[in-house]
Amino acid sequence: MRTLFLGAREFAPFVDLLIGSTRVIGPVAKRQKFVFAELESSGDLRLDYDVTILPPKKVFFPPVQPLVCFDAASVRDCIDPVPTVLLGVHPYDVKGIDMTDLLFRERHADWNYLGQREATTIVASGVQSVAPRAFWASIGTEIAPVGHDAFLTAIDGGYVFEPRTPKGVALARHGAFREATPEEIAAAERANAEAAERCSRALPYTSAEIAERVRAAFRDEAMWDALALDCFSCGSCNTVCPTCYCFDVRDTWNLDQTSGTRSRYWDACLTREFASVTMAGGEKENFREHHQSRFRHRFMRKAAYLNEKLGGPACTGCGRCAAACTADIADPVRVITTIMEATA
Amino acid sequence: MAQLRIAFFDFASCEGCQIEFTNYGDVATLQLLEHVEIVEFREAMTETTDGRIDVAFVEGSFTREADRARLQEIRARARTVVAYGACACTGGINALKNHQDDFAEYVYGDAARMPHLRSGTARPISAAIKVDYEVRGCPMSKDELLLVLSNLIHGTEHWVPTYPVCVECKRRETICRYDEGDHCMGQVARAGCGAPCPADGVPCEACRGFVEDANLNALERVLVDRGGLSQRRAVGKSRMFTANPRS
Repeated sequence: MRTLFLGAREFAPFVDLLIGSTRVIGPVAKRQKFVFAELESSGDLRLDYDVTILPPKKVFFPPVQPLVCFDAASVRDCIDPVPTVLLGVHPYDVKGIDMTDLLFRERHADWNYLGQREATTIVASGVQSVAPRAFWASIGTEIAPVGHDAFLTAIDGGYVFEPRTPKGVALARHGAFREATPEEIAAAERANAEAAERCSRALPYTSAEIAERVRAAFRDEAMWDALALDCFSCGSCNTVCPTCYCFDVRDTWNLDQTSGTRSRYWDACLTREFASVTMAGGEKENFREHHQSRFRHRFMRKAAYLNEKLGGPACTGCGRCAAACTADIADPVRVITTIMEATA
Repeated sequence: MAQLRIAFFDFASCEGCQIEFTNYGDVATLQLLEHVEIVEFREAMTETTDGRIDVAFVEGSFTREADRARLQEIRARARTVVAYGACACTGGINALKNHQDDFAEYVYGDAARMPHLRSGTARPISAAIKVDYEVRGCPMSKDELLLVLSNLIHGTEHWVPTYPVCVECKRRETICRYDEGDHCMGQVARAGCGAPCPADGVPCEACRGFVEDANLNALERVLVDRGGLSQRRAVGKSRMFTANPRS
């Protein structure tokens, strides 16, 4: 597929035309932070964002998602995919989406997720500003970001647009694109390499080394106790994670008391009730009762267990968990470095 | 479905939780009235009852021995008792007085010795009678009250979140108070309210009480280190709605 170029002045008209033809979701400012939200005009789009509060996973797997609506006479599916262009997804989040794609597709395909996923065209974009807690340049480097339909990079004078799929090629119809010159393509490569160099926090180990050592540290209770001492079990690290995919399902009744909704809600394995189950006799058993074991479980999942499915860690290096943790103990760079150094 | 006979009673409280019930609006309330018959509710009607009640909503904390007899009388004729709002569930803000001696003078000045102001330790109503359900919050959550009513009407199991407010803030992408240079207690506060306060730029005061196993050492450290509070204020802060659990 040919790599294209769009002049800086042509960019806003392209985005506005796109907004006129379909729902477009992209990074927008929320006070001093950023969130993915539906664009009303090209002026809302902030491709210079560093990281969003929640990852773009929420477009396919919303924090609260109505699944089924019921009344006294009927039950109906309320999944209603909307054709969408998801614009400006950073490469670390492209990897996150690729991971949730695999996890929701394996075995029993989850159409509550896949419905909106398949109705969405993803335009990735190069990172212009690096978030302070980001370490995406050094984690899971053996896994290339895939699953997006096009990649957009800002360079001097405009944007280099690389379509990756026929859906990506089709988007270019909305703008005054021309074929990119070799110089423009090289400038885009340089811009993306420079952004990676600005990602200063790093885990200088291979994924296999990390997986092996984290798994081997399982029984070092004293270390996990120390690492998790200030854990609130608040689930913030889970809730902002691009690769967390656990959910709970609950029913609510409408005021009329004859109709209602079954919805799913993001769940979080750091919270106390997550691993609480009801036994045959009605008693409750919590198989991860202490916050240390829940804290450890998260690192086992992200750095070791899921590697078998994903081919690498279930961590994209976005740094959201590190930034969201008010006690500042969730940072994978700090925790994994502690484990690597303790067992070196 | 037979209508449930429901009644409201109040003890030491501002009665704001009962007022909150009237805030569903007329359409919603009228829909609800197809399923419930309100037999006593002094904020909204003059009739009272001494008969059987299906659901008694009890607001306010238990602060006098005379309250015990009245609570027992309500319990004896109610199939289900719901502790309604922070004061009834934990003692609420009234329990702050349990930690000081001069509150009457401080609040009422020269009038502090009036006999009706004499009261004892502020306790949750569960200190006097068995409570079947709790609707926490200051004021109580209207959505949660509706959920209790729905589950009672349908005979389905009641569930409320046991996780902290942080989960609800993150779900709605509220900017963390700590990222705004402020403090907050959402890390240890029970969720279920939908986290409206931080979304409006106000720290969570944990009006629904603390989660089980709340990490209070870490809370005090974070309130001081990141929230900029003094050690004394950090401890006092976390006692506002949870004076009993912290006593």
